[in-house]
Amino acid sequence: MEIPIPGLPDLPDLKIPSLPDLKIPRLPKVAIDWRKALTAAGVVIAVIAAAFIGWTLFENYTYDRDVTAFGSHVAAAEADLAQVSEKVSAHMRSRPANPSLAEADAPVREFAAIAEYGGAVTAYHRQVISADAVPDAYLEAQSAYVRALDHLNRAFSLWSSAAAAYDMQAYAAVEDNLARADQEWREYVTAIGDYNQRLRVAEEVGEVPPA
Amino acid sequence: MEWKDVIPVLAGGIVILVVALVVKPVLLGEPIGFGSPGVGVLAPPEYVPPAPLPTATPFPDDGEVYTRAFRWMSIDGGVHTTEIRVPEALFSAARETPRYADHLAWGRYALAPADRPILEDLAGRIAPPVDNPDKEYFRLMNLVFFVQQIPYDKDENTTSYIEGVLPRHVRSLDDGIEYPKYPVEMLVDGRGDCEDAAILMTGLLDALGYDTVLLKYSNHMAIGIRMDAFNPYYAKYTPKYFTYEGKHYYYIEGTDFEWGNVSSSTTARWGRPLAIGDVNGAGIPSVRSETPEIIPLRYIPAPAEYRISPARLPAAGGA
Repeated sequence: MEIPIPGLPDLPDLKIPSLPDLKIPRLPKVAIDWRKALTAAGVVIAVIAAAFIGWTLFENYTYDRDVTAFGSHVAAAEADLAQVSEKVSAHMRSRPANPSLAEADAPVREFAAIAEYGGAVTAYHRQVISADAVPDAYLEAQSAYVRALDHLNRAFSLWSSAAAAYDMQAYAAVEDNLARADQEWREYVTAIGDYNQRLRVAEEVGEVPPA
Repeated sequence: MEWKDVIPVLAGGIVILVVALVVKPVLLGEPIGFGSPGVGVLAPPEYVPPAPLPTATPFPDDGEVYTRAFRWMSIDGGVHTTEIRVPEALFSAARETPRYADHLAWGRYALAPADRPILEDLAGRIAPPVDNPDKEYFRLMNLVFFVQQIPYDKDENTTSYIEGVLPRHVRSLDDGIEYPKYPVEMLVDGRGDCEDAAILMTGLLDALGYDTVLLKYSNHMAIGIRMDAFNPYYAKYTPKYFTYEGKHYYYIEGTDFEWGNVSSSTTARWGRPLAIGDVNGAGIPSVRSETPEIIPLRYIPAPAEYRISPARLPAAGGA
């Protein structure tokens, strides 16, 4: 006996399809062509090998290029510092024996000009060398050289201050600035020694091809 | 192998190049491409020599001058008179020049270029050149004695200045005032204190070619004169010297001399200079007990360290 449900419309008779009517897709049969498979594998291996060799060559190239650039920048700095050194040495040799006041003041003005020049040289090369992208093995050497230039730059700056104090006849301040500059020079020498040592270590590390 | 097999290889290579030249630099903040990092902010520096200073304009000879007559005794007992003429413009310029705050610069007073012709002329008249080296010592002592006879007067006394008032550039100190005089000021004022005498004496001795320094004590200033050896047989004291830069500078007093009345019945006086190296003569305690600060007349700053240390260059292309 069917009990009618109130509000439910009369539904037409539903027809459930029989399971045998469903179509199940089937995977096509793969026909393995061993020649093509070997070719594909060879291509993959070739790509990986090419990538590896290319990357290694590129790393080698980058390493050499960066070290060469760093070396050329240090060489340029050394060449300019040699010129500064020449002027300083000539200045120190040419001190007048028994000068008048004007003759005594002239070397101080030259001293100030040399200090200005030395300061500009060290600031310039510090900027160049600190911007160098060097291999990791050379980072400490680069850092030591930049530190040396920093000490030298401060020493020249103190020389400029000493010359300015001389112009104001504040001789005690001159002596104070020179003493501090002497200390910066000593620290510069230490930093250069540190650089030489770290460069040697970097070059020994560099003998092993970079990864 | 067919074309379609080569394409992946080429694509792989292109991918590697893109990664190496673009992606990696972008990630690491490096410049893109093959170029090395450039620095274009500063230009390579150049040495710029100092510009020559303009030469000072000499004071005119035809203007107003101060004339001062000095009556002084030489070491042989003879009394002499010497007249000096100082252009008023030169004196006024000296008076209007601010004093150096740093006493280490006081040698510049003695070497003032504008005063130099007057000092050379005066030194030549007080101590004319001698033809016999044995007389050189007397020449030196005549000049020393001349300065020692210039009356002493303190900086704070208005009587020390011809204007009768303190100059506007006197410097106030905790224990009084300080006004070191240029040599021409000392000569025109006709009096001064210890540093004024020391400055004048070193200026005159320098004009004669002697190497001198100023000796600064806590409350006094004297002169040091360079002598290789000074130990006369007649000296009843051990001559005192101080070493500066490896050279010996013997003490000379600038403000006093030995004197006394010739007899009790006359005002006539005898006198002789305080001797070189005698630190007890002037009776100043600090001179007897202290080691003075030595102030060279000529000071040229000289750093002790200035040698560039050559750095090793990295081997080209790495190791």
